[in-house]
Amino acid sequence: MTPNTISKTLICVFYSLGATFSTAGQPPTIETYVCAAINKNYVIGSKIVTTSGLHQLEPSGEWRHIGLNDPTVSAVSFDPRDPRVFYTAALNGALRTVDGGASWRIMTGWDITEPKDVCVDPHSPDTVYLAHPGGIALSNDQGMSWQARERGLPDRGKYTQTIEVDRVRPGRVLAGCESGIYLTQDHAQSWRRVLETRETVNDVQQSPHNPNTWAAVTQSAGAWISRNSGRTWTNLPNTPTDGSLYNIAFDGTNPDRLAIGSYTFGVLTSEDGGATWVPRNEGLPMPQRVWRVGVHPSTGHLFASVYQNAVFTSNDFGRTWEKIGLEGSAVNGFLFLSVPTSTNP
Amino acid sequence: MKPLLTTVLLATLSITALVKAQPSYEGPHPNLKVVEDPTLRRMQYNERVQEVIQWRAHIVERGDSEKMDLASVSANLRLGRKLDACSDRVIEMMETPGSGPFWMLPTVCVAFTGRDLLSEEAKNAIRDAWRSTYQLRGDTENHFAMYYSMLYLMSEMYPNESGDQWYTGKSSEENLAESRAYLIDWMDIMTTIGQGEFNPTHYIGEYAIPMLYLVAWAKDPEMRIRGKMVLDWLYAGLAANTLNGVLRGPNARTDDSSVVERWNSLSSFFSWLNFGNCPPTRGFSWGNYYAIVADNYDVPEVIYRIATDRDMPFEQRDLKRSRHQWRYSDVGKAPIYKTSYTTSEYAVGSYQGGMADPIQTHVWDVTWKTPDPRGIHPTMFSIHPYSASKGMQAYFNVGPDTMVKAVAAEGKPSYDVADKLVGCSPYEQVFQDLDTVIALYDIPKGTRFEQVNGFFSKDLSHLTEDASGWIFAQGRDSYLAYLPLAKYDWVPHMAYQRLPSTGNGYRYERVETGSQVLISPHRKNGTILQAASVSEFPSFEAFQKAVKSLPLEIELDPVPSVSMRSLRGTEIVCTFGKDPLRDGKPVDYSKWKLFEGPYLNAEKNSKKLEITHGRLKRTLDFNTLTICDAVVKELSK
Repeated sequence: MTPNTISKTLICVFYSLGATFSTAGQPPTIETYVCAAINKNYVIGSKIVTTSGLHQLEPSGEWRHIGLNDPTVSAVSFDPRDPRVFYTAALNGALRTVDGGASWRIMTGWDITEPKDVCVDPHSPDTVYLAHPGGIALSNDQGMSWQARERGLPDRGKYTQTIEVDRVRPGRVLAGCESGIYLTQDHAQSWRRVLETRETVNDVQQSPHNPNTWAAVTQSAGAWISRNSGRTWTNLPNTPTDGSLYNIAFDGTNPDRLAIGSYTFGVLTSEDGGATWVPRNEGLPMPQRVWRVGVHPSTGHLFASVYQNAVFTSNDFGRTWEKIGLEGSAVNGFLFLSVPTSTNP
Repeated sequence: MKPLLTTVLLATLSITALVKAQPSYEGPHPNLKVVEDPTLRRMQYNERVQEVIQWRAHIVERGDSEKMDLASVSANLRLGRKLDACSDRVIEMMETPGSGPFWMLPTVCVAFTGRDLLSEEAKNAIRDAWRSTYQLRGDTENHFAMYYSMLYLMSEMYPNESGDQWYTGKSSEENLAESRAYLIDWMDIMTTIGQGEFNPTHYIGEYAIPMLYLVAWAKDPEMRIRGKMVLDWLYAGLAANTLNGVLRGPNARTDDSSVVERWNSLSSFFSWLNFGNCPPTRGFSWGNYYAIVADNYDVPEVIYRIATDRDMPFEQRDLKRSRHQWRYSDVGKAPIYKTSYTTSEYAVGSYQGGMADPIQTHVWDVTWKTPDPRGIHPTMFSIHPYSASKGMQAYFNVGPDTMVKAVAAEGKPSYDVADKLVGCSPYEQVFQDLDTVIALYDIPKGTRFEQVNGFFSKDLSHLTEDASGWIFAQGRDSYLAYLPLAKYDWVPHMAYQRLPSTGNGYRYERVETGSQVLISPHRKNGTILQAASVSEFPSFEAFQKAVKSLPLEIELDPVPSVSMRSLRGTEIVCTFGKDPLRDGKPVDYSKWKLFEGPYLNAEKNSKKLEITHGRLKRTLDFNTLTICDAVVKELSK
């Protein structure tokens, strides 16, 4: 089997989840990717009869599979210098392709398993951060070798679910762990806890509007916001704590709008900067087992993955929904990639 | 012509019988007489191996399957028959490869068995599948053992190939180095702080088969001897924990069927094959892949003797470890302190309670010997049916909302069912002294399933609910006394019978077995168990009287606590949350050795196991990678 690949060779600028930007000449194109598992009740040893892994939403509205058929991909991160180079976090470890998904290498060894998140450092793209159940690993050579970077993390409580590099200040990274949010300001040489939680921090995101603003969601402590680059955190009122919140997304077109995905509560949205939240599940299949949400950074369209059902989109921030395919999928992450628009016909 | 015709006819009948039968499964129980002659023992072993290979090779002729599977191809290759058909079938099967260690292992079996027999096209098909089809490593210890053993062997078979020739993207040498490093690390952990998936009813195969393949096919002599030493290690543990070949006591991992019909598990295949002292299970299961190269291993006499000698009762204490806990726990690999007491009639086994594996652990039981174990439920035990999302999350890297529901569809149907009989609980604490077990339960309010389940076999006789609260029964030649510490009711035991899949995971229906489950719906709870041999008492009534006369004090609040004298005269005090007291002294688990008993002995962190029986001694030393056999000149008095 020859995997589908990303074939464009243009240099791209990568923005995660809703960055706003401008480029000279043609406005950039935003490409939509998802990490999708489309294999109900897969167990190790089962024959994989569906196509899982990285998918791109084509302008035609079709989903195009890219690379390995892997039902365990939880995150993807692109090298901003070359969209053909990207990394995935999956059951087997961190994987990398340098040719748009045609070929792959498992970059980690036996001692790192089931990473949940991977993040290329936009300031130094040879550097890659990996969030995994055993802690945090860092590579300075595009994944060829890895070092544990855990000074400041507790021996127990360092299970790491999510990791995000500050896009404006080099060396600053925020990690969501089992015991809270940890911040490094020295390229993961050391970490300090900036928010303590009893259970896992599921997602940490930086605002595309104000780089000092970060938001996070947790398994049992609701949603949180930081206005000072992650140094201190404030609980977002009216976000539920009696169920897990899986991820949070800023709307790049409107600084007041945020969305949360939750298996228990479905889609929750705020249109006042997080002060109040409302469920936006009408039109989604019930029960609204939402796995992840995403917001398109240039259109503001809201995406929601309903667990093992399909992907849905809304052009009115959750008031109405339309199914857009990937039947049976559970999306582990939405990613919006900004690439300069080709002038070639 | 007549003699010739007769000969042909007899030969045909003989072959037909061989093709159709699984005589060891269908026939009478094996003779339990110890085979003293090593040559005869080996010959009988080889006969058993041949039975498996012949049975699997003829799967199509027998009508069990329309086409050969990978096991059948391997068996036919081993017999040198149907070679063209084997090649064709391999090519066909490699068009749709599987996705992980459970595909890698059978494929390696075919690749190595057929390396001089398959067509070039078939061999290329296998090789190409290992290039083009991404293999998932899995998430458990047995997955990793299989995955890396298989990747190791294939990388040795195809050296000097670049990363673009492997699904890993790594070169043969990189694959080899990574696989070797994992396997050695795994062996280091096993031989220092204990086995993870200890005494598994089924998963013993997932370790034994990869190790045998290393013995048979690894080029590096270090990996060959490591494989052999691990096999000895595994089988020594099997020998010391079986009674007439049937695995007894706690298991890191078992299943709803094996936990009650103790014989019905893959471990019985390995007892049958190595020790010849119980029937194998139907179809031999994964044993088919073991048998293909089983002639590469010879179970040491000292292990054979341990498995077959039950003249004297013995107590064995082992140190094991839990499955790794990634989060929500103070410790990653928790120590498991395991005790087994085995007599000629029954065995009692336990560990101290708490979590070992999130789904499939069996914590304690008493089991009794039966003339034939097939279809028998020779066991008695109690459990708290713990089911918790957060418990799952400690071991699995998943969100909180789906896993509990998903496990049922993944072949573990009872996990979230109130009357389940498989599983461990953080709210259970167990202490064993010889054939006395005290299991205490302190279940927090609001816990899913605030109850304790006790299993009572259909094969018990004289089941008596005494006014004293004790429940007395007889299991063949064993007397049993079970005291529930809180009120209870009875419900029928309902087994899980597999139904054909409709394409969305496993499906089951529940059927009554005739056994019963004691349901005690109280959070402060416990079980006291006493076992004894029928030969120790003049009558069943005398046993009951002896048990009822034992000094016994029970408290349930604020936490369950038992103070008693056992039938063997030991003064025991157990209080939930505290170290138990034996004859007034606290049990010091920190001094628990890796193995301690008459047959198996090893210090913690030593990487060195001494296996002894009578004058025979085998030492497995992973520090020096040596196997040392010795015969003691005289037994010490």
